Amino acid sequence: MTIAAPQVRPGPPAPARLPLRRPRSGRWVGGVALGVSLHLGLPVALVRVLLVALTALGGVGPALYAFWWLTVPAGDPTDAAGAARPAALTRLARRPTDESPDGSGPRVQVAIGVLLLVGAIALVATRRSTGPGVGWVVPVLVLVAGLVLAWSQLDLAQRGLRERPGGRTTSVLQLMGGVVLAGVGGLLVVNQVIGEGIEPQVLVQSIVASLAVLAGVGLVLAPWWLRLVRELGDERAARAREGERADIAAHLHDSVLQTLALIRARADDPAEVARMARAQERELREWLYDDRPAPGTSVAAALRAVIAEVEDSRSGPGGEAVTIDSVVVGDRAPDAGTEALLQATREALVNAVHHGRPPVSLYLEVGTDDVEVFVRDHGDGFDVDAIGPDRFGVRESIMGRVHRRGGTATVTCKPGRGTEVHLVVPVAPCEPSAGPGANGGATSAAVPAGTTSTTGTPDTVSATDSTSSTSSTSGTSGTDTMDTTSGTGTSATSRTSGGSR
Amino acid sequence: MSGSVTVPVDVVLVDDHHMFRTGVKASLDQRVRVVGEAANVDEAVAVVHQLLPPVVLLDVHLPGGDGGGGAEVLRRCADVMAGTRFLALSVSDAAEDVVGVIRVGARGYVTKAIDGVALCDAVLRVAGGDAVFSPRLAGFVLDAFGTGSGDVAIGDDELDRLSAREREVMRLIARGYSYREVGAELFISVKTVETHVSAVLRKLQLSSRHELTRWAAARRLL
Repeated sequence: MTIAAPQVRPGPPAPARLPLRRPRSGRWVGGVALGVSLHLGLPVALVRVLLVALTALGGVGPALYAFWWLTVPAGDPTDAAGAARPAALTRLARRPTDESPDGSGPRVQVAIGVLLLVGAIALVATRRSTGPGVGWVVPVLVLVAGLVLAWSQLDLAQRGLRERPGGRTTSVLQLMGGVVLAGVGGLLVVNQVIGEGIEPQVLVQSIVASLAVLAGVGLVLAPWWLRLVRELGDERAARAREGERADIAAHLHDSVLQTLALIRARADDPAEVARMARAQERELREWLYDDRPAPGTSVAAALRAVIAEVEDSRSGPGGEAVTIDSVVVGDRAPDAGTEALLQATREALVNAVHHGRPPVSLYLEVGTDDVEVFVRDHGDGFDVDAIGPDRFGVRESIMGRVHRRGGTATVTCKPGRGTEVHLVVPVAPCEPSAGPGANGGATSAAVPAGTTSTTGTPDTVSATDSTSSTSSTSGTSGTDTMDTTSGTGTSATSRTSGGSR
Repeated sequence: MSGSVTVPVDVVLVDDHHMFRTGVKASLDQRVRVVGEAANVDEAVAVVHQLLPPVVLLDVHLPGGDGGGGAEVLRRCADVMAGTRFLALSVSDAAEDVVGVIRVGARGYVTKAIDGVALCDAVLRVAGGDAVFSPRLAGFVLDAFGTGSGDVAIGDDELDRLSAREREVMRLIARGYSYREVGAELFISVKTVETHVSAVLRKLQLSSRHELTRWAAARRLL
């Protein structure tokens, strides 16, 4: 069946010995020769030539080929080698291998079929009048062709093969063609055995009889077949579960275990340990709970990145790691306005982490025509005099950015209740479908996506009673809203210099 | 409110991690007393029915039962809901976890990162019949009920939209304000804030708002 032309597959560097599999790509007929060559490390051409040569020895070659075709499972040997190792030892979970979508397989098969057919016709034509054996050639060829077509379905029915679009129709057509061919071939052979004198009537009767027998057998075997199908389904589900588990195991291995090892090594540095634990928590939460939108499509995701950067790189006044609690309502695609807003938000967060006092809260709300951000800390308020030059930089980087986009920025200091930076940037109205999965309605984010929250530690509202309410009885009268738009030292009466900075 | 309470509030603690239960018990102050513990759904249902505590601290993810976790406990304890209030406790960020337990009757939601004093405050608040909203939960409410100006409820009995005041309260809570700070900001009493929050909780539980319904249906909660 396989003849000539070496075409060694440019396979990956093979380990000691690949398991015996029939690869789906690069095969000619059933992939037997290719599989054997990969398994034994021989050139594929040599194997093919050997198989052909063995045909001379009483048809051993085709027999071997058929045997292997039936018994050797299809699949990529390198994948199989990888899968043979326990999942815990593989560093990464096995990814679903992409089947070669070029569809060269069917074309090759069709070509071989046509070739065989042409050969058969030529054979018959040349030997038309030589001896009694000629009459057998066509029926047997037809029969064999039909069998080959039908048996090739074995590959497609192999477990684990992913359904490809169109693959099902092709396989059904192939199977039907095979059955028809084999049936016609069988009839012709029978015809040949009996001799010329077979009548159409008898033929029809025998066909009906055999169909009845087939139907009976089918009925008898149906329960068994159904059970087989069900078991196959169960097995597939089990495989999917196992794959998922391997994926999770790989992730935990790559991230959490590494971080735990790092934490153990740095156990004497509380700030660093807290920072690493926080970074790991953030990463794990994102992996577990968040939809991961494509980059550049989500303000919420961009904000998460900003928060992560600030949490990782900035420390509080005492060098301790500071956690930023954030709540995001709505989402949209970023534009220049939200970009500026996020930059300003970053500066505000850095300011709050450096000079304020935890907890630092961040609230972002995406409205229909503007985006609002509140950054709040529980420090004593800005002390403009003490950090004058720096303050100017902050003012420029927060206020300037937002104003250039037509937005507003206000800083509110309240005695005992911390400082809040409020940023608003107008944005072009965008379709509510900016959020993943949203389809209309007033909310711009779909409910299943939920509140996009990037922090794991939102304290309850009642919790904050104890933090900053000592002087809040007169808090409202002492409120001083400071608009630092002009940048010329508008001052807040509430500033105190007794902070911890 | 904390100063006026003299008798400790009895609490049943439901969590499948022994370490966590120990930690919570150690962090609670004298205002709260743990009278019972449970580590899975069936135990929790039994203990709650036996002790009928005023407050149950309920983990959202629990083994046992039919696999429904904390929400299943709430459903199976629906008959004692009049006297027993549930405060959900979870490490999860997922909206379906947060709102799943609220929709089946929990009076509030806190995460496990909460410190002891704050947890006691939350327990007392729930015991007093009020709702406990974290910034996250407030954010979800705003997300689900919409922040657009056309979405304001006119009447009090409207379940599918927030009133303007309720939305203001939710926004402040989402910004990290305590109830007291919200009250100061809006020039209203803490009691009024609690009333607003309870009204929002009721809407969250009963609303048939399109997004909530779709969201719940997708998770077979209805």
